[in-house]
Amino acid sequence: MTIDWRFWFVVPMIVALATVVLFPTVYLFWMSTQHWLVTDPDRYFTGLGNFARLFDGADFWQALRVTGAYLTLSTVLMLGLGMGLALTFARAGRGWMRAIVVMPLVIPPVVAGFTWRFLLNGEIGFLGAYLLPMAGLDLNPLAEPRAALFSVVIADVWSRTPFMFLIFLAALQSIPRDYYEAARMDGANPFHEFFFITLPLMKGALFVAILFRLVDAINTFELIYVMTRGGPGRATQILSIFGWRTAFQELDFGRAAALGVVMLVICLIGALLMFRRFVKGDAEART
Amino acid sequence: MSAPRRHERLLTVIRWTFLTASIVFVVFPLIWLALASLKTRAAALEVPPAFIFTPNFAAYEKIVASGLVDAFFNSFSIALTNVILSLAIGVPAAYALARMRGPIQENLSFWVLSIRLAPLFAIILPLYVLFQKIGLLDTRLAVALAHLTLTLPLSVWLLMTYFRAMPVDLDEAAMLDGAKPWQTLYMVVVPIARPMIASVAVIVFIFSWNEFLLAFFLTSRDAQTVPVVVAGLAGTMTFDWPLIAAISLCSMVPALIFIGFAQRHIVEGLASGAVK
Repeated sequence: MTIDWRFWFVVPMIVALATVVLFPTVYLFWMSTQHWLVTDPDRYFTGLGNFARLFDGADFWQALRVTGAYLTLSTVLMLGLGMGLALTFARAGRGWMRAIVVMPLVIPPVVAGFTWRFLLNGEIGFLGAYLLPMAGLDLNPLAEPRAALFSVVIADVWSRTPFMFLIFLAALQSIPRDYYEAARMDGANPFHEFFFITLPLMKGALFVAILFRLVDAINTFELIYVMTRGGPGRATQILSIFGWRTAFQELDFGRAAALGVVMLVICLIGALLMFRRFVKGDAEART
Repeated sequence: MSAPRRHERLLTVIRWTFLTASIVFVVFPLIWLALASLKTRAAALEVPPAFIFTPNFAAYEKIVASGLVDAFFNSFSIALTNVILSLAIGVPAAYALARMRGPIQENLSFWVLSIRLAPLFAIILPLYVLFQKIGLLDTRLAVALAHLTLTLPLSVWLLMTYFRAMPVDLDEAAMLDGAKPWQTLYMVVVPIARPMIASVAVIVFIFSWNEFLLAFFLTSRDAQTVPVVVAGLAGTMTFDWPLIAAISLCSMVPALIFIGFAQRHIVEGLASGAVK
């Protein structure tokens, strides 16, 4: 390509993104090979030492398990609810109802976390101290490991499901109506319609939604930070909270950088898997 | 003939039940938050809670009195800087990408999209160290620059999709008439795209306003944004529920104002990058 105006229009963006994204990423890889304790002025190359120490610690595997459980539980709930909402709004509901359902998406997650902590608190919360005991469930949702993980997931579901809903609604509205009419002529009931028309045609949207959920779950921080700080014990300590602990409480920047590399790799693998299936499915559909 | 009709009636009932339940699930926590912000500290701790009480505005007065307004100023100026920068850089870039063909365009736009799929934690430590080295830690500028990692790819992606759908005839005609590319962009393309650019500005503002992770790691006192202050208050020993509830509510105001003004575009914008 000859260098014309288009090149000059794109240059500022490339420079900006190279400065705030590309350069820090390269720097992260370098950091991850350094022995780098904030409290220790000695800084030197340790090769893969940080990774070795990271994989040796039980905390990392625990955080990985928690992240996996968190990701699975939240994905199932969000996909189900988001799909339910999309199917519902395709046939019923008013514009203002849609606006209400989408609202949590523009509310800061930190506020979502605080609100649910306030509701679920075992001493003063409306749900935790009033409704749940009244229903005969005598547990403190934020103080027991499993209940705490579930509580955090509920708050995240409240906050992020609208995103899934919007993706699914857009996909749903792009399915031609005649498919359903043709199916109905052949005697299909609504369940047939869903499983044989809607779901197969929304495969792409589902993959995209799951990919974004993976990235969002890896990025989830403030919700858990505000609700439980990773506790009780380490029951809700997902990778990002573990990373914050490593970097700013243990002050081990080298090991935290190694964790950053691991998180980057996880997202990369997820993206590649999704893209391969997505693109492959797309190509098959075209042939 | 009656079976489908029975199905249809059952489905209608299910739909409206589900809809009502969803709206309650979304709205109730917010109403509860609003009620808490109007209670006294002691009243907020009562079990069973009071549903009807005399409202008390002490929490809101405290926001002003204790200097928490500074956080709102920080958030506002950081978000505004992001709107200006991401549009100034993003509009020309998106336009050029939309009028490009071939592998360079594909690779560049894929690179821009892939940034959205990278974990933020990966760039936080490097940014922290770099900003520390140049003495920018705990400044509004540092947070604003860091937020560009989110807002710039987002605005480029949204605008590129939009420009690509715009017919090329108009700007080609302008260029044939001898207009320079930047003249074409600012005198032909931008005026047509004004509604979309306004929506992108709103989305960028909301993203930057709500962002926590980068603002939390890069600030310690002076440049703290509203979400960081909320999290900080939630960590103090003397837990002031009404105060946190009041700040939380205030922090939602910009987003709710904007969403009222351009709901459709914003909603689509928030979902896009995903859809296309």
